[in-house]
Amino acid sequence: MASWPSSPTLLGKSTRRLDGPAKASGRATYAYDIRRPGMLYARIVRSPHAHARVRAVNVSAAEKAPGVRAVLPLVDVSQPDAAKAMYQGDEVVAIAADTEEQAHDAARLVTVDYEVLPHLATVEQAMRPEAPAVFPKGNVTQGSLEEEGDLAAGFAAAAHVVEGTYSTQVQTHSCLETHGCVAEWEGDRLTAWVSTQAVHATANGVATALGVPQTNVRIITEYMGGGFGSKLGPDFEVVVASKLARQAGKPVKLMLDRKEEQLGTGNRPSAYAKVRAGVDAQGKFVAFDAETWGTGGAGQGAGFPLPYPVYVWTSRRRRHRDVYINAGPQRAMRAPGHPQGSFITEVVIDELADKLGMDPLELRLKNLPPEEPNRMWGKYFQMAAARIGWSRRHKTGDPAPGPIKRGLGCAANRWGGGGSQQTRGHAEIHPDGSALIRIGTQDIGTGTRTVLALIVAETYGLPLGAVKVEIGDSRYPFAPGSGGSVTIGSVSPVARIAAEQALGQLVAKVAPSIGADPLALAAKDGRIFVKDDPSTGVTWKEACTLLGTTPIVVDSQWEKGLSSVGTSGVQFADVEVDVETGVTRVKKIVCVQDTGLIVDKLTAESQCYGGITMGIGFALYEHRILDRNTARMVNPNMEWYLLPGPSDIPEIDITLVDQPERGVVGLGEPPTISTAAAIANAVANAIGARVRDLPVTPAHVLAALDRQREGGTL
Amino acid sequence: MAPKDDFGFSRRDFLKTVGVGGIAAGVAGPPEAGAQTAAVGPGAVPITLTINGKAHRLEVEPRVTLLDAMRNRLNMTGAKRVCDRGACGACTVIVDGRTIYACSALAIEMQGKNIRTVEGLSEGTVLHPVQQAFCEHDALMCGFCTPGFVTATVALLERNPNPTAEEARKALDGNICRCGTYSRVLEAALSAKGVKRG
Repeated sequence: MASWPSSPTLLGKSTRRLDGPAKASGRATYAYDIRRPGMLYARIVRSPHAHARVRAVNVSAAEKAPGVRAVLPLVDVSQPDAAKAMYQGDEVVAIAADTEEQAHDAARLVTVDYEVLPHLATVEQAMRPEAPAVFPKGNVTQGSLEEEGDLAAGFAAAAHVVEGTYSTQVQTHSCLETHGCVAEWEGDRLTAWVSTQAVHATANGVATALGVPQTNVRIITEYMGGGFGSKLGPDFEVVVASKLARQAGKPVKLMLDRKEEQLGTGNRPSAYAKVRAGVDAQGKFVAFDAETWGTGGAGQGAGFPLPYPVYVWTSRRRRHRDVYINAGPQRAMRAPGHPQGSFITEVVIDELADKLGMDPLELRLKNLPPEEPNRMWGKYFQMAAARIGWSRRHKTGDPAPGPIKRGLGCAANRWGGGGSQQTRGHAEIHPDGSALIRIGTQDIGTGTRTVLALIVAETYGLPLGAVKVEIGDSRYPFAPGSGGSVTIGSVSPVARIAAEQALGQLVAKVAPSIGADPLALAAKDGRIFVKDDPSTGVTWKEACTLLGTTPIVVDSQWEKGLSSVGTSGVQFADVEVDVETGVTRVKKIVCVQDTGLIVDKLTAESQCYGGITMGIGFALYEHRILDRNTARMVNPNMEWYLLPGPSDIPEIDITLVDQPERGVVGLGEPPTISTAAAIANAVANAIGARVRDLPVTPAHVLAALDRQREGGTL
Repeated sequence: MAPKDDFGFSRRDFLKTVGVGGIAAGVAGPPEAGAQTAAVGPGAVPITLTINGKAHRLEVEPRVTLLDAMRNRLNMTGAKRVCDRGACGACTVIVDGRTIYACSALAIEMQGKNIRTVEGLSEGTVLHPVQQAFCEHDALMCGFCTPGFVTATVALLERNPNPTAEEARKALDGNICRCGTYSRVLEAALSAKGVKRG
């Protein structure tokens, strides 16, 4: 059975990304950068209305416009029930022309006859009994009920009860590279260069949508500019570009513009929870009762875990309903549901701690499940508390004079991850000594390319640069989409296994040539030698010449034992709030995160920096704002949809907890889960009032302070 | 084939927002633009752009931005299009020593100016010290914002070779990274050595 090396040379160190120079020099080619001979540019005409029936589409002027080569209707006006735009930005017709400017001009010539229909802009509007029936299965789902333990007994045992309504906003993925592709046909075969997190899922989905054999579709993703869950494929843009390309007989580029990206390519659903929670006199969580709802816009799936499954509650009940509104549909976004559930739960816990008069960290420690390798919150809380200086924490409400108040807060996270047993890999060792690993995964900025090279180079005892990595092509062996933090757990074991098998074949050639037992040989420092007698051996190059003209070719599959499911971590925040302006500044974030076996420390840390930075955005700035009358997005751009920038980033202190015995563990999602909860708790600790709604904007802070003066939230 | 003047309303609106006067001056200015000094457009007009020290002759409609001229006509795709309107910095280039958003400048106005892009920073396979620092500090993840950050950092260090952390943050505040590598970008900016003044 395959295993990881006990004393690695390359693994666990800080190694620079292999593709750093290509990215830093601008040579890395993204889907947006692809130019093909004769390539056309496409635009999509979209509904300006949040809810409308498309009665007629007139494209005659557009078809005659200069440069136009293809026009593709995206709604069937002969089906009045189906020919509807369900949100602003819903697609109506697509156009391809010789130049981008001509495509824009032609799109403006399309006239659409809309019958504007009643729409729902907010969950409050959608949940009113008299709300118009906008969605075929109802505006609000029946709901699901989860129950565990005896809630009545739990509340009877409670010494203190907290009641409140909490909410989190809609966050958009805001990928820098928008969704899109370049699609090109050669006869009945399609090649598409796609900005995707899933080359295989895209190939299969697009083939099905186009009605062509899956063997005829090839998806290439050499580099891609961010996905965060919104590009798990198959994306609609690929289907549209492929159809336009087929119609025009030329390659077509369809990359969305920023407004389109913000309107319709996905978002993190909002979350609302009306909570009643109880703690007994000793500080044991005895009851958690919640009515929850949220909206994924015109799409399904606004669920989130609650109470967030870190702490143990002796009884709990939760009823959840999804609410539909006329807005862009949700898509999986970095740890779907978790930041929402974490924020609500961790803020409730801090409120319980205040009622109890207990330190909130002490209260958390009292209610954790037993420690296990994948749930080490108790240990991590104490490590992080020391790093942020928790002992200097004052009680809720900074007693210091003046408008600037300082506060500390904390929160925990958990995630599943693991790996897909469907993953396959291909390794080659050539007679000239060159080596290759090929897997149909993709590097979405996480460092997958570098991780694969490190693992194979480690196995062969070669320097990193000696291994060629081929990824980002649906013709390569199957790997899952890069979602759920499963990429490293899927591809690392396969790379290790393939390399071990290939090395085994090479060693079998070397052993007789030096009169040694193959099992006694090791590969290290560019040599294959007898473990107990290192002077007896050959260089890697010499070994490979023994292959004659036949390279070693290995196809392998995923096995258990090299990766783990389940991970945990904690984050602490130190903030400063100006109670006159309501402005919050994060001073420091401390992150302690289980990382299993670290393959590349540098890129692992970057995942934490990235998750925390996105968490700061969720905590303080990001907010998809819909006009409550028109349901149009007020901020579908990067000026008013506020993303954190360089000056918003605090000191970030990261401790990666290396547990090599666990094998590799995914790290893309967990570090973004608890940032907002920790910041919100730190804000309350600073100002002495609770902000129960994200983002923690100046307006929310000032409103919380006002409520506090009027009788309070605490 | 260039579009005829069928869509004047939209183009005029666009030109108004970016300043028609500048365009006319830009066209009339450099000798490469030829003898034609009358009003230009709406069709494509010949222009010359000096990018990374090399003159590029091309024909673009007056409404084409510097970014689109580089990306769609010259196949220089280092500068990225992200926000479409001067909010994110992914298209940052250095023009006569100052950073500008290439998405918010018209190509025709950039004639006679010294345009520097990320493609001009490395010499062969030798990276610019700033690019080297970005690689060493892992100041890049998906990499889509990276050319803009690298270019903005080069411009900063050419003006101010030893910036404080605060000065570096301010200089890079016009750039957005969604992967969240700011901490590392700042490390890279503060550690890049040997940047000559441009």
